[in-house]
Amino acid sequence: MDEGIIDNYVRFLQSLTVDHFIRLFWFYIFFEFIRYFAIEWFVLNLWAIRRKLNSRKFDIAREELLFENPLVSIIIPGKNEGKHLYKLIKSLNEQTYKNTEIIVVDDGSDDETPTIGRGLEKAGLIDQFIRNDTRGGKASAANLALRFTKGKFIVHLDADCSYDRDAIEKIIIPFYFDKKIGGVGGCVNVRNYNRSLVTALQTIEYFDTISIGRVVTSHLGIYRIISGAFGAFRADVVDKVRGWDIGPGLDGDITVKIKKLGYKIYFEQEAICLTSVPDTFGKLTRQRLRWDKSLIRFRVRKHRDVMFPNQSFRLENFVSFVENITYNLILNVKWYVYVLDMLINYSSVLLNIFITNILLYTVTNFLKFVIYSLYRMRTNAPMSFFIVYIPCMVFYFGFYLRIVRTIAYVQELFFKLSYKDPWNPEKTSVHAKRMGL
Amino acid sequence: MSDLRPARQTEEGVIEYSGFSFLIIDQADNLNVDKVQYHNALIIDGKDIDFIRQIVKRVRSHNSPDIYLKPIFVIKGINITDPVINELIDGSIFSLDQLEFIIPEVERMLTRISDLKFTHSISFEAQMIEKVICYLYISQTDTLAPVPYVYSDINFAYPILSVNFRLSDEHTALDILAIAESEGIFDSEYYDRVYLCSNCSSGHLSYREVCPKCGSSNSQTEDIIHHFPCGYVGPLRDFTNEIDDQLDCPKCNKRLRHIGVDYDKPSVLHECKNCSHKFQDYNVKARCLSCQNDTGVETLVGREIRTFTLTKKGELAAINGFVTTSKDIDEIIGTIKFDTFKTMLKYEIERLRQTEGSSNVCAIHIINPSLVYSKIGSEVQKGLLKDLVKVIRSNIRSSDIISFQSSSTIVLSMNEIPYKIAIRILKEIIQILKRLMATAFNNMEVEFEYKVVQIDYKLSPELHMHQLTKDFA
Repeated sequence: MDEGIIDNYVRFLQSLTVDHFIRLFWFYIFFEFIRYFAIEWFVLNLWAIRRKLNSRKFDIAREELLFENPLVSIIIPGKNEGKHLYKLIKSLNEQTYKNTEIIVVDDGSDDETPTIGRGLEKAGLIDQFIRNDTRGGKASAANLALRFTKGKFIVHLDADCSYDRDAIEKIIIPFYFDKKIGGVGGCVNVRNYNRSLVTALQTIEYFDTISIGRVVTSHLGIYRIISGAFGAFRADVVDKVRGWDIGPGLDGDITVKIKKLGYKIYFEQEAICLTSVPDTFGKLTRQRLRWDKSLIRFRVRKHRDVMFPNQSFRLENFVSFVENITYNLILNVKWYVYVLDMLINYSSVLLNIFITNILLYTVTNFLKFVIYSLYRMRTNAPMSFFIVYIPCMVFYFGFYLRIVRTIAYVQELFFKLSYKDPWNPEKTSVHAKRMGL
Repeated sequence: MSDLRPARQTEEGVIEYSGFSFLIIDQADNLNVDKVQYHNALIIDGKDIDFIRQIVKRVRSHNSPDIYLKPIFVIKGINITDPVINELIDGSIFSLDQLEFIIPEVERMLTRISDLKFTHSISFEAQMIEKVICYLYISQTDTLAPVPYVYSDINFAYPILSVNFRLSDEHTALDILAIAESEGIFDSEYYDRVYLCSNCSSGHLSYREVCPKCGSSNSQTEDIIHHFPCGYVGPLRDFTNEIDDQLDCPKCNKRLRHIGVDYDKPSVLHECKNCSHKFQDYNVKARCLSCQNDTGVETLVGREIRTFTLTKKGELAAINGFVTTSKDIDEIIGTIKFDTFKTMLKYEIERLRQTEGSSNVCAIHIINPSLVYSKIGSEVQKGLLKDLVKVIRSNIRSSDIISFQSSSTIVLSMNEIPYKIAIRILKEIIQILKRLMATAFNNMEVEFEYKVVQIDYKLSPELHMHQLTKDFA
């Protein structure tokens, strides 16, 4: 039987013409290969060249930063994050850039976070520990921190992360490279990559979509999310946008708000942060449902005005919006169209199409993994560790993440479930829903 | 009870009544309490509470049991509200015509005093403990209770004990009571806790909430408001407007309507007016009103205030004499016991009766022993006394003898030596002792006084000793 399948598949390949190949694999060719490999690689090369050309300018920017030595306010809002604080603060106290103030905001924790935070403050390891007795959500905690900051730049961190010794320095330098930059996103890598299959797959995903994907979007001017785990902002810009709005998805939201004001957003691949990612599919699904809903909530609803010609219209925001919607929402729908197309028109060779798609995607993933590794500054994990996991990526990207994304879009488009997400307190979500925020 | 006989004034300030002699102190300038020992009781006739307080303290803080145990009565010209003075006096009368009412009390106390035996320990702590238990015995109480007291440096006074210390050394009372408890003289139970300055042990502290950055107590506090719809968080002043009393969100311009529904106040914001630092948690600092030391409350020294109850062992110690404790000081080499000293003095008097010659008894007294011993502790105290003896010994002849009358009074004989020479030698010894103390204890001034009495074979050893030490404070 196996031999029958193989013979059948060989015959299928031998019978493939170019037209036939395009007809059968149009989804892969036009959306996946062109957008996520060909264009991406091309832009990556442009970026590498530009980076090389600008290296002197970056050195000057660094010198300017070190000469001015501005105060950088590091804010760490969170609830029940006490257990992570010591590791985080240890990595912050090791930073090469020293003129910082560290402000931890406890958003109504009901564990030992207040004791731990006050202990760190008393020991002089952090500058301020601030507590809200009642939980107000991450946005309110970050906004409360802003009341206490005195720095020229605000760096927003997640408590469960840790940072390279030069991470703060690296994330601030771009502000001196281009005065129009309002926010800089840091590069988030996975700390617990070898914990489970799920964490290994996410690590490969982060290499691709964050480390490289954001380099590309940043270079194209359509970079749209400064990660809450590691983002830096000019304090005056944060003040202009009046801080963070209600989440979930508040990091993407504030990025759009800054871009709407005309500031550039930059991704700094060398500013490296390590985070622990969900280690089971259950946890990962919950996280991704939350992330994917925010596309609908913020992109499609709250900030749909970027599409319309008005005073704050900017081409790059429009392109960013279109790209985002096209390659996430529409592409997701298109995939189902493709599957239906194949089911209806090519049901007799479905197995061969499936096998070919798997092979195409796997080969592409291998190629991307190898080629892109040349563009990554550094990783905290040996590349050889991930080779065996690459074949799984086609199922991870192609099926798992796509299905989760579909569920999230449906939940948010038709039921607005993000407003019921316990990640944010209900008392604020009801208002956000009512006001369409 | 003795037969009651009419009061009779025998000399100025003394009344004989019913066989008892009462010393009356009624003038502000008459603060000498030494005469008390020659009378059965003391009556203070004064309308000034400070005068009464001063006299009572002088009597009760005296070193000699002949003085500090004497019954004290006050002619009630004013209402005495001072709780410690009330504890330290034995009663009050409205006029001298009422002496008959206090006779039973005087009689009872004198009877109980006659039960007591004193040991004259060299140890300062032992002396204090002896004093306390003897006083409790004659007061027919077994409880030494702390009295919340505004004039106390640690805010609580154990009247008969605390009265022996200068304000700044009152905390030593707690150490002495702890020693007594460890020796089984007292049982105790918790009463309260005080916090004392880590620098000077005073309990007179001013607590302030201060800026964690600059330590200033000059700050203003505002509620933090969290506006739910837009997530804006800021102090109240961000939301107020100049037109009405309403609150408007500066971010989304919406009016705040209902706390808990569209906004809440999750925390407060303090802003230092001195350095503009914004913070949420004050530091709490305590400024010592005695030494001005300003420190965080975590550096204060917490001490338990306990109520002490005399044990059976304590009661027996009062009657038989409180001989020794683990903190007591063994006999110091180069000295003899005080009783032996008195016996030898008796022999010297006898010798002088039969031969012509000039012999002297001398005394060196530390004026401020409570200060000295509270600062140096019992271990160093022993070393100090050894050093004193060593210095004295090296300046007198080997045939002269040294003894301790108490931890603060050293007595010595200088036989077959002219009076003037004895004085000169003693003066030199005092100079050397002062230099020694100045070298050993930088921040502490040890004050000495001395006296030389030429031995008169017509007088008893007791009278010599009395003449020798009567002028010491």
